[in-house]
Amino acid sequence: MTTKSLTEQTQFLKYDRTVGMTTMRGRGFYYPMDSAMAAEGRIYAVSRSSERTTGDTVRVTVLNMEGEYFGVFGSKGSGDGEFMWPCGIAVDGGDRVYVSDEHLHRISVFTASGDFVSKWGTHGADDGEIDGPSGIAFDPDDNLLVSDARNNRVQRFTKDGLFLSAFGAPGTREGELDLPWGLTTNADGDVFVADWGNDRVQKFSSEGQFVAQYGGTGRGDGEFVRPASVAVDADGYIYVADWGNERVQVLDSDGRFMQKLRGEATDSTWAEDYLRINVEEAEARTRANLEPEIEFFNDDPHEESSHIEKLFWGPISLMLDDKGRLYVTEGNRHRIQVYDRAT
Amino acid sequence: MTTQDVQLLAHLMRRAGFGATRDELDACVRDGYEATVDRLLDTSNPVSISEYLIRRFHPDESSMLLGGSGRDAWLYRMTTSDAPLLEKMVLFWHSIFATGYAKVIHAKQLSDQIRMFKRYAMGDLKTLLVELSKDPAMIIWLDNQQNHKGAINENYGRELLELFSMGVGNYTEDDVKECARAFTGWTIGNREYMELRSARDSDWPYGRLSWHFEYDAEDHDDGEKEFLGETGRFNGEDIVDIICKQPGTARFISRHMYHFFVADEPPVPQWPYEAPRDPEAIELLSQAYLDSSYDIRSMLRVLFNSDFFKSESCWYEKVKSPSEMVTGVLRLTGIFDTPRYEASAKTSRMQFMGQSLTNPPSVEGYDGGLAWIDTGALVERMNFASEELGNTSTPGSQELVKRLVADNGGTVSPERLVEVCLDHLGAISVQEDTKSRLVEYAGEGGDISVEGPELDEKTKRSIAGVVQLIAASPEFQRA
Repeated sequence: MTTKSLTEQTQFLKYDRTVGMTTMRGRGFYYPMDSAMAAEGRIYAVSRSSERTTGDTVRVTVLNMEGEYFGVFGSKGSGDGEFMWPCGIAVDGGDRVYVSDEHLHRISVFTASGDFVSKWGTHGADDGEIDGPSGIAFDPDDNLLVSDARNNRVQRFTKDGLFLSAFGAPGTREGELDLPWGLTTNADGDVFVADWGNDRVQKFSSEGQFVAQYGGTGRGDGEFVRPASVAVDADGYIYVADWGNERVQVLDSDGRFMQKLRGEATDSTWAEDYLRINVEEAEARTRANLEPEIEFFNDDPHEESSHIEKLFWGPISLMLDDKGRLYVTEGNRHRIQVYDRAT
Repeated sequence: MTTQDVQLLAHLMRRAGFGATRDELDACVRDGYEATVDRLLDTSNPVSISEYLIRRFHPDESSMLLGGSGRDAWLYRMTTSDAPLLEKMVLFWHSIFATGYAKVIHAKQLSDQIRMFKRYAMGDLKTLLVELSKDPAMIIWLDNQQNHKGAINENYGRELLELFSMGVGNYTEDDVKECARAFTGWTIGNREYMELRSARDSDWPYGRLSWHFEYDAEDHDDGEKEFLGETGRFNGEDIVDIICKQPGTARFISRHMYHFFVADEPPVPQWPYEAPRDPEAIELLSQAYLDSSYDIRSMLRVLFNSDFFKSESCWYEKVKSPSEMVTGVLRLTGIFDTPRYEASAKTSRMQFMGQSLTNPPSVEGYDGGLAWIDTGALVERMNFASEELGNTSTPGSQELVKRLVADNGGTVSPERLVEVCLDHLGAISVQEDTKSRLVEYAGEGGDISVEGPELDEKTKRSIAGVVQLIAASPEFQRA
């Protein structure tokens, strides 16, 4: 496999900008897992870091799409306000921030400014218990949906953690799930789940009844490999972070393929700041060819992405703002690529 | 099948793999020795825990920003692979083509090198050496990106001959120079930017960029060369071709194989001065190498079916390396059926035992053998095995309890308990003295009741105690 023209799209989404940068602490991300949008365009991005690091490499970074930085909160640990394996992040109607932890099997709640409020979650498999909570999202009633990944189901809780309902079971048939990850709702309360292990997205009614499925294993248009996240806009377009294929796909409301994105990152304002100070590296970078033609030993897009910086590498989380802009958080490139609606 | 046959198979599984669980050994017994060897050699479709699973739960094992990155994924693969011989061969080649993070400073490149070894580990040496010469981590490790037409850098050319193929005494200094000339132009793309970022350990702005091999024809010295008695306008592939047909290469690779799988040889720098401990074995393997057009799998088939390998005199002779110790123990516990937060803590234990995978002490690799054992390392090894195997909640421990209940019902004598535990850990054979102490310990509370359906905690702890003592025994340190 050789590199080829990498930007294939219809006139639906067009690239706008890149936000973020790799940093172990402070202003930046370190293996971001998910992002959430709050009032006034504020973005909360949770970084998992590595088990080998300590302290505040695990954190939530607060910024906006202009690259303004508002600080960080959280750190590594099992105490209040700490995380071990943070995975999902969501913001409720009161601008409180919720973070799921799939090692501690709990949800932690913070104020908009990052002060710890509370935590809840009991490890287990009974109703209301969770095992490896991954993606989280608020429904139109401001209740929290949780991808209860290792229980292969979705559960609904109040903001304070009272169990309301559950749906899904382990398996591959309609309505069954395999390590579900990101999820979201539309305005009607239908739930869209990135059914990671089954290489598909499933749509459920607000009562948890199976409605439809999209995708299936593959690298073709409309096919997925281990989708990590899903977003749905007001017009019903479905956006899928096709994580294993290192791309994002757009489907119409009937699930028909419309567009695929492979990534077109440019230097963010934070990246520019870094390069402005590190002149030697910046100059060498300008002399380098960042889109080399390479012969790969296999056709795994993971390899291509590791070589070519602008491409999505680990597109792990999707979110939309009120203008229909799509934000793609990349776990392996520690940044967010932003796409506008072209029309 | 006799007890002796079972012991031989257990020896084979310890050497060609990481030991065997009781179930795995039962399968070997059913197949028989030769068929088990054939099965071990069939690595055409190896299966281990999904890479997607590892990357999802351990994102640092995906893009690898830290010095130790990539090791957890390697441990997952070794621990869950259904092709353990392939994983042993990866360790084998890693210990010979030793490449270290300390200079490369790019964990993903080192991990990519390990995956390259896996692709070519069991094939022919010629292909492997060409791929090695193109490996970006190796190029940087031995400075071949600084090897230019008219200004050669001999580092890679020398080590290719001295350490990677034929060893001292089989080539001259002029051969080293000609070898280096042939590899001029074998470099990496974006060399300036990549070298700078490596030197600065730069993850910025967006993580690491993988390296790729680039052949710079303008920087290649395509003049006539004289190498090992042959003349021509040799490029790197030609050099590898000439190297591979040398009897010296056959003997060198054979001796490495003997050292890794059969019995300890002295460190490589002493090889020109100390004869192999079994010259006939080396000759047999060398002939297999030459007869098969340098095919590693063919050599291994001869080795595992040979009398010198099967001989009882080499059973338990080798000290397990830390990677073999940790992997063997974790395969017995079965805890890596799913990604776990504790994975990197387990990998770190190898380091505490003296082996940092992807960061060997030098280009000469790991000394191995008794060098793995010093006071600190021994305590660490015993503690690790004892802790992991004494954990009553693991799938492996639960399997042991089920076996005790199913096979014995009622009560179990101390002698029988010790037998079952030794068997559970891979049909381990211990000295009589060790055995009697184990029985004495097991008998402290009298016979153990294993009436179902569930055993009480006290009983489970008694069983675990015996397992822990076995894990702490001298015999468990060896393969």
